[in-house]
Amino acid sequence: MSDARHHVIIGSGVAGNQAAETLRARDPDSRITMVTVSRLPFFNRYDLPRVFRGERDWRRFVIYPAEYYRRNRIALRRATKVVAVDSINQTLTLQHKETIHFDTLLVASGARSYLPEELSEYRPLLLGFGAFHEAVQVAETLPKRGHVIMLGGDTIGLDLARTLIELRHRVTLLADDYTFWPHEVSEADRPRYIAALRNMGFEVIEAKERGSLAAVSQGAPGLPARRLVFKDGSELHGDVVMPFFGNVPILDFMIGSGVDIERGLLVRPDLRTTHENIYAAGDNCQIWTDSVRRYCFYHGWKNVRAMGELAARNITGANEAWTPQHDESLRLTADGKILSPFWEYQ
Amino acid sequence: MNTDVQIAIVGSAGDGTIAAGDILRRAMAEIGYRVISFDLYPAEIRGFGKCIARLRVSDEQAYSLKQKSDILVSLDDSHAIPHVGEAREWGAVIYETNSVNPLPEGAHLSAHIDPGQVPYNVPIRELAEKSTGAARSRNIVVVGYIIGLMRLPLEPALRALTGKFKGKGEIAQKNEAALRAGYEEGLRWFRLDDIEFGPPPAQERGAHLEMINGNAAIVRGALDAGIDTFFGYPITPATSIMERLASEMPKRGARLVQTEDEIAAISATLGAGFAGARAATATSGPGLSLMAEMLGFGVIAEVPSVVFVSQRGGPSTGMPTKHEQSDLNMAVFGGHGDAPRIVIAPTNVEGCYRCAGRAFEMAEAYQTPVIVLLDLYLSNRYETVPFPDRPPFEADTNRYADTRGGAAGFQRYVLTADGVSPRSTPGQPGGMHVATGLEHNELGRPNDQPDMHLAQSRKRHEKLKAALRHPGFEPAKRFGDTGAVDVGLVAWGSSFGECLEAMYLAQEEGIRCAALKVLMISPFPVEMATSFLADCKEVLVPEVNYQGQFAGILQMQVPRAVTRMTRIPCAPMRVEEILDEIRRLAGRVVEPQAA
Repeated sequence: MSDARHHVIIGSGVAGNQAAETLRARDPDSRITMVTVSRLPFFNRYDLPRVFRGERDWRRFVIYPAEYYRRNRIALRRATKVVAVDSINQTLTLQHKETIHFDTLLVASGARSYLPEELSEYRPLLLGFGAFHEAVQVAETLPKRGHVIMLGGDTIGLDLARTLIELRHRVTLLADDYTFWPHEVSEADRPRYIAALRNMGFEVIEAKERGSLAAVSQGAPGLPARRLVFKDGSELHGDVVMPFFGNVPILDFMIGSGVDIERGLLVRPDLRTTHENIYAAGDNCQIWTDSVRRYCFYHGWKNVRAMGELAARNITGANEAWTPQHDESLRLTADGKILSPFWEYQ
Repeated sequence: MNTDVQIAIVGSAGDGTIAAGDILRRAMAEIGYRVISFDLYPAEIRGFGKCIARLRVSDEQAYSLKQKSDILVSLDDSHAIPHVGEAREWGAVIYETNSVNPLPEGAHLSAHIDPGQVPYNVPIRELAEKSTGAARSRNIVVVGYIIGLMRLPLEPALRALTGKFKGKGEIAQKNEAALRAGYEEGLRWFRLDDIEFGPPPAQERGAHLEMINGNAAIVRGALDAGIDTFFGYPITPATSIMERLASEMPKRGARLVQTEDEIAAISATLGAGFAGARAATATSGPGLSLMAEMLGFGVIAEVPSVVFVSQRGGPSTGMPTKHEQSDLNMAVFGGHGDAPRIVIAPTNVEGCYRCAGRAFEMAEAYQTPVIVLLDLYLSNRYETVPFPDRPPFEADTNRYADTRGGAAGFQRYVLTADGVSPRSTPGQPGGMHVATGLEHNELGRPNDQPDMHLAQSRKRHEKLKAALRHPGFEPAKRFGDTGAVDVGLVAWGSSFGECLEAMYLAQEEGIRCAALKVLMISPFPVEMATSFLADCKEVLVPEVNYQGQFAGILQMQVPRAVTRMTRIPCAPMRVEEILDEIRRLAGRVVEPQAA
């Protein structure tokens, strides 16, 4: 065995890949292993709306070619789920019972779409948008000029809706507290932002006005494929129903690891967890932020990428503190549309 | 080709690796695709040792396996890990997602998948256990999974499965359940690979397609040519010729005897041939050595007989389950004295069928032993073969003497213009003669006078030349570019398939290239080879033996410089290696291969 340090990264998204790149640059002789449940190499998730423009070849979404990983000696373990992390012995256990030892661990496992408990029984009738195959499934299910019903409406959903409207699909947004997530819009400002959505072509229904959603069911023969029933007895029919209720960190495997978790992994400003060799970056960590005296989530690819880089720098000897890279405020444009800074990925 | 997909299944002996490959290739053939398939297995029966089933599915018949597989399946990671690199970029790697026991780092296949390959982590064991109550059907789950994943019809695989487990009620039912479970799982998966199965090709008229291996094709050819006696002694990899004949010949009123050894087998074969029967034996290198003396007898007594020889790694007992082409010199020159014989070497499974049938015709027509030289790769590999609806072989090509009312002293070895003397069979009135291993005169009586020895020797050699013009048989055939070429390949036996593949790849790179397939090695098609070599700036002779035996024969017949490419990898020669050599000879830069 060589004496080279083994850096293990859980997750192969923006943070994980940025960290790997930085680690390779700053620690050329090290071993780098990136573990991800995804079967795809790192691809541009933000670009998934392109699937609706007819682009179905996932290779065109890939950020780095296979050669990049070979050249940089980054062992990419795809379709591999971590089930446990042992911070004392510095090992992680994979679902297939393989044990990997690490010298440093970066948890950049990201987040998955959140589905409120009351909707979980309808999951088979809802279509997600978190993975490439889910985007393809929606695109293949949706008829020409089809009707999409969006529940919640976080910024990922609103971004997709912009494309769908442009492609002359009908989008009905069932707005609630998750609309505009992760942006925080005050009650006072909300009517202006809802109006902006309507100005952009959305049909917006405030869920509260109908007493909230009572049920989702299969549409009757001859009608669109999905039927929504509200507590006031009214109904809404659409071809596809998609939930967009924001994200929750993927951290199941960290339970019992000995590392502090609140909603996300709690990290110091240098992105180190409560274990000195374990760091976190991305949507799954809450960073101690002195200005507000609490642990905060930071969103958007610029922030996530910066976290990946910072974590790698600190893993390799730097001692730098996190500073947000992104203005997270939702904006209204002069022509009456909303614009999220998280959409600035192109 | 619209469809050109190679599947490799790697497992341990006892995993059902070969059985899975067999069901898959039969299913693919029934769908209508052309298939070539070759299995590697250890000498041991069960419990350890690597097994690999490889099949290439295409819409035009291919005669070699590809260097890279499109789909690689692991039934045993410890054996499959060294082969992960065999899956091509964007190809699929299918493996067990769970493990029974804890694993150290790197012991799971997923640790070795290249970023360019597409992982399919399938709960194979779980699917087998849920569908059958046990994990034994993992191999069948995999077959179903591949068919489902590739969106191919399930029914042909079900029929292949039924055929394989015929009469085994419960086992058949469980395997069907496993196949369906795998199929449903495959359908469920989102495909990320770029593997394509196009529509299968239309069936040829006047022929029916069958999935068959080289030894089975030999048997089919022998039966279609009307073999009526066979004497043999089992030896790998020729044994299955006798096994198959043993089940088929009695149905046709023909006779087969397992003799006490190879010497008895060839002796009895020659005896039957002398008696007028269509007689054959089958063996491998060690057996051929034992037969050498009696083959000489067949030559001097001018007895029609056919010897099927499937080569394996040598010398001596050598490597019974490994591929090699190192018995060529033995087949052509083996034995003492000037003992010319016909040696033909098929290059593919269809060729095995045709060579087997033609061998009987030639043996009778030219009154000599004919060796049909196969090798382990050809004997065991499967191909889809379009068999003619009517056998194309002549039932009797003997030249019999009209001995009615003949005077005493039948001249069995009379000197004729073409060297073939009309024969008689025992009991034929007026046809009585002496057949002996001694040099003889035209009556067959011992004679050691120089003039007679010269005359009879010349007769025995000259008569074989007509075999080069034997009806329905091309002793050599040219492929590729016509006219002058940068590189010409001359190849024989199963190696020709790899050469042809390499030639096509070289042509795609803009190299003017041609290949000469030599089917008849003795007598050698000198005119055709001379003409071909005259067109070639460089000549490459790839073969799987250490000495370059075929190149030696070629240069003996057509003196000119050639590049000998000899490899003994205990397996078929690699297409990439041949291609690299073509590139080098054509003056192209060849990147050094990674270790």
